[in-house]
Amino acid sequence: MNVNVKKINSFLAENAIYVVLVLLVIGISLSNPDFLSLSTLTNILHQNSTKAIIALGAAFVLITGGVDLSAGRVVGLAAVISASMVQMSDYPQKFFPHLNELPVFVPILLAILAGLVVGLINGLVISKLHVPPFITTLGTMVIVLGVNSLYFDMPPNNSQPIGGLRSDFTKWGSGSFQIGSFSLPYLVLIAIAVAVICWVIFNKTRLGKNMYAIGGNVQAAHVSGINVSRNLLWIYGIAGALYGLAGMLEAAKSGGASSAYGNMYELDAIAACVVGGVSTTGGIGTVPGVMAGVLIFGVINYGLTFIGVGPYYQLIIKGLIIVAAVSIDIRKYLAKK
Amino acid sequence: MTEPQYLLEMDGVSKEFPGVKALNDVTLQVRTGTVHALMGENGAGKSTLMKCLFGIYAPDAGEIRMNGRKLHLPDSRSALNGGIAMIHQELHPVPRRSVMENIWLGRFPMRGPFVDHGRMFRDTEKLFEDLNMDLKPDTIIGNLSVSQIQMIEIAKAVSYNAKVIIMDEPTSSLTGNEVEHLFRIIGDLKKRGVAIIYISHKMEEILRISDDVTIMRDGRKIGTWPASELTTDLIISRMVGRDLTQRYPNRENVPGEVVLRVEGFTSPFPKSFKDVSFELRRGEILGVGGLVGAQRTELIEALFGLRSVASGSMLLNGMPVKIRRPVDAIRHKMALLTEERRVTGIIPVLSVLENTVIANQKSYARYGFLNEARRREDTERHVGRLSVKTPSMKTLIRYLSGGNQQKVLLARWLLTQPDILLLDEPTRGIDVGAKYEIYSIIADLAASGKSIIMISSEMPELLGMSDRIMVMCEGRLTGIVDGKTATEEQIMRLAAQHSA
Amino acid sequence: MKKKWIPVVIAGALAVTALSACGKKDDGGSAGSGGGGGDLTIGVAIYKFDDTFMTGVRNAISDAANGLAKVDIVDSQNSQPTQNDKVDLFVSKKYNAMAINPVDRTAAGVIIDKAKSANIPVVFFNREPLADDMKKWDKVYYVGAKAEQSGTMEGELLVDYWKAHPEADKNKDGKIQYIMLTGEPGHQDATLRTKFSVQAIEDAGIQVEKLAEDTAMWDRVKAQDKMATFLSAHGDKIEAVLANNDDMALGAIEALKAAGYFKDNKFMPVVGVDATAPALQALSDGTLLGTVLNDAKNQGGATLKLAVALAKGETPSKDNTGFDITDGKYIWVPYKKITKDNMNDAK
Repeated sequence: MNVNVKKINSFLAENAIYVVLVLLVIGISLSNPDFLSLSTLTNILHQNSTKAIIALGAAFVLITGGVDLSAGRVVGLAAVISASMVQMSDYPQKFFPHLNELPVFVPILLAILAGLVVGLINGLVISKLHVPPFITTLGTMVIVLGVNSLYFDMPPNNSQPIGGLRSDFTKWGSGSFQIGSFSLPYLVLIAIAVAVICWVIFNKTRLGKNMYAIGGNVQAAHVSGINVSRNLLWIYGIAGALYGLAGMLEAAKSGGASSAYGNMYELDAIAACVVGGVSTTGGIGTVPGVMAGVLIFGVINYGLTFIGVGPYYQLIIKGLIIVAAVSIDIRKYLAKK
Repeated sequence: MTEPQYLLEMDGVSKEFPGVKALNDVTLQVRTGTVHALMGENGAGKSTLMKCLFGIYAPDAGEIRMNGRKLHLPDSRSALNGGIAMIHQELHPVPRRSVMENIWLGRFPMRGPFVDHGRMFRDTEKLFEDLNMDLKPDTIIGNLSVSQIQMIEIAKAVSYNAKVIIMDEPTSSLTGNEVEHLFRIIGDLKKRGVAIIYISHKMEEILRISDDVTIMRDGRKIGTWPASELTTDLIISRMVGRDLTQRYPNRENVPGEVVLRVEGFTSPFPKSFKDVSFELRRGEILGVGGLVGAQRTELIEALFGLRSVASGSMLLNGMPVKIRRPVDAIRHKMALLTEERRVTGIIPVLSVLENTVIANQKSYARYGFLNEARRREDTERHVGRLSVKTPSMKTLIRYLSGGNQQKVLLARWLLTQPDILLLDEPTRGIDVGAKYEIYSIIADLAASGKSIIMISSEMPELLGMSDRIMVMCEGRLTGIVDGKTATEEQIMRLAAQHSA
Repeated sequence: MKKKWIPVVIAGALAVTALSACGKKDDGGSAGSGGGGGDLTIGVAIYKFDDTFMTGVRNAISDAANGLAKVDIVDSQNSQPTQNDKVDLFVSKKYNAMAINPVDRTAAGVIIDKAKSANIPVVFFNREPLADDMKKWDKVYYVGAKAEQSGTMEGELLVDYWKAHPEADKNKDGKIQYIMLTGEPGHQDATLRTKFSVQAIEDAGIQVEKLAEDTAMWDRVKAQDKMATFLSAHGDKIEAVLANNDDMALGAIEALKAAGYFKDNKFMPVVGVDATAPALQALSDGTLLGTVLNDAKNQGGATLKLAVALAKGETPSKDNTGFDITDGKYIWVPYKKITKDNMNDAK
């Protein structure tokens, strides 16, 4: 009996985030059984695909013991850059009135490249000038917003939202495979592919192992011959590229972009990571954990709206979940005491 | 009712962690006004027992009584209020604050809503006077040496008017004079009726200052004896559960040709090492002796590229080399076991496996992807060879004892197949049994042709292990003596050979 | 040796390039000036530059200033203290008049005090100060639109469609089952548009039933996600979508498209406010039913002309501003309903 209680307790502690996720689904379904449907599943996955990609980027940085506040604004930059170049040729309010139709991969790559460049700048400043990540990325966050606003405000656009995107671009965000009556959005597949790649990097590559070592004890990593600067440069670069990809997908999904895109996404991403068991002090975190963290927020957002909970209550519930999930998760480590 | 015979009694204390029975029905009885030594190998349960006493861990079973009255100790604060203070092995000062603020932290004297700095200053002065300590209460603690901080911790414990003070390896970073000073303070405390629970690995100290000795092994109490009935060999055999006839392994190999020549190594910082020249031969163990502040650590960290060098040169097998970063050193087949195992050695949140392979990651990677099977194979082989005690390769390293952590770090460096090993206090904070194992590993390495530079502050270790001993004082090399013929006095004299 | 000078040099170089880059570019950026004629200078403070609508007003002001006055347009960065500092700057530069778009409308009193003691006339625009503050001095004016009007017109757009298309009442119960997407909670425009759009429908004698109302924070992506949720919760019960702005309306349209609307004769009336460029595109595509134009061009023009008249010391009137003055202090620039038929008015 006593042993069983202990077993259950330790199971709950080890798998806290998944337990929370299941409880949420059960609670929402009890309140409205219609919630349990295939369309709910695809909707939640579709709505959280870009968020998952951003959270994975944030996880790279968090595991090294850093933090990246520039994430949201890089998403905005990438969204605006890609959207500005894929408008339909007959759209009246074009960002570049004389731009011919570019092959669709050009704006996609440019968006990712923009994210990569910001990430590399972050990495460079942090590793070479030894400015703390919080300060560095706070700076780039503001700078990126400024650059994006300047670009967005260029005549003839003058800060008008960008619309009229070509369908060969928007299909990346809103298209889907039709399997009978079930439709699987491309976006979900892209997010899964990114997650798999991240899992491989985290677990199977030198870069991934070095990332955990740097976050776990940067001095020991240095003594062990790890080139800390070069690894950080890559990690911030990859994170930036992921934000860029997410930004471009966000534009494709919504069929438009403005400089306000991505505002505060960095906090959502950090919250999802932390709820998913990533340690803010570094060295700890897994891809499945991050995915579960993103899904918890996805289920909350979708489910509470679905059953008609008022937006103010939603905020309160979200805050409570962040604190509660982490307090249960942290017992995994306190249990040894 | 009669006066209880003991000041402090711990009765039938047990504590279990997931997978480990850390304490099994342990009883400890401490008399008023005595020094009670607590001995055992690392992992024997000494620290866990003391953490139960200090309210950091809650025991699963058992009772703690002070003067016959049962104590309830949910946290350290109630332990302090109950008259129990602890000086931890690792110090946790608030570096940017003053000495007095560190001492009175959490219980500042107040005047209304404000901290009464005047009274705090006077109280601290009085405290230092009582303990014969020459320190200013308003010094910023970050500017003090480790040994001074250690003394402040002791003063802090005294300031609680504790009846029982736990000292966990209090002399590990003290110099000879400071140790004497500490022993005088301990003598004073005894006269005031304070009982001291003293944890140390240094036999000489234990036999000199303690009244009673309790020995533990594998989470159990082996027994308590008056110190006067014990000898070093008796203690060791009871701690390890077998007779130890020999404390250092036999070494038979003869050093070969010169592999490393260091010439005129000088630090850019005036107080650090200057103009140090020496050579190291194949298969040789070169001991490095000296007092705290001799800049020995700084010197070998500079050899490894962790610290900058203003002038001087290094020749490896006759070829001049430049080492600017650890990567360069590793490429030239050097390895460094650092002094501060927790700060620069282990990565606590990662597994034994990850900690073992980290310095050798390159050899498992192809296009950045790692060969998992070879990583596991290598780890298992080395962890087995050094007989690291761990439940599995996936266990987080922070759950291992100090000695086993040190063996994992040795395995880490052996994986890189170094020719030259730099070992900085390789047995610090490690229990006797594990020490012998580490000595054997070092001797085997030397016999197999590796060259070793070993810093040690323990004189018997230096004399027992080294082919030659180089002694430093205030950053200068003051002499190199033969390990077989040298005496402690000879080394002490060189270590104290201050320049005019 | 650590090369301590590197960060210093880099920071210095950055600062120099940044300053020279900003300096060269006079329009946009931190300080803008338009026009040239006359010796009059008017200080203009916008609550923040990266606001789509206010950018339109800002451009209209600098266009209208051409040949009439110099304007110094500054960004208050969505911070009232910053704006107050800018006002102090205008005062110390002895400008002839000020046009202020307050960050916080209740803070206008402080600005009026500053203006009064320096005797510089002030025109507030787009965010209306409290009536008591407006009475503090006779050289205080306001140019703006009546926010509730945008809501009312949004509702009327829906009413017109409802009356012309009986099939829009899918369940034939005579009621409009609608979804409301609101802006930032507590935002005055969000509250008024939500309230008056529904009231306009009821005033037209049509009953309504709210299926769901949630905030999408003015944001296209969030509105898209909310709408997808509502669609799976309420499905075909939804008969109309009202959004507090166009961005959210367009987000809802994306979600509706994904659910199979706007093809094969499946239509959903969606209305928004602002008449942004993508919204006009949606009008011509036939996905957006209608939007309401907050007339940036006339708001900017009226503000500038009013400020110029005051700067010259004239008493503002319809003759020197081109707009009716209400209660001696207010110019109300009306909203416009925009549908596919008159969408060229909004370009």
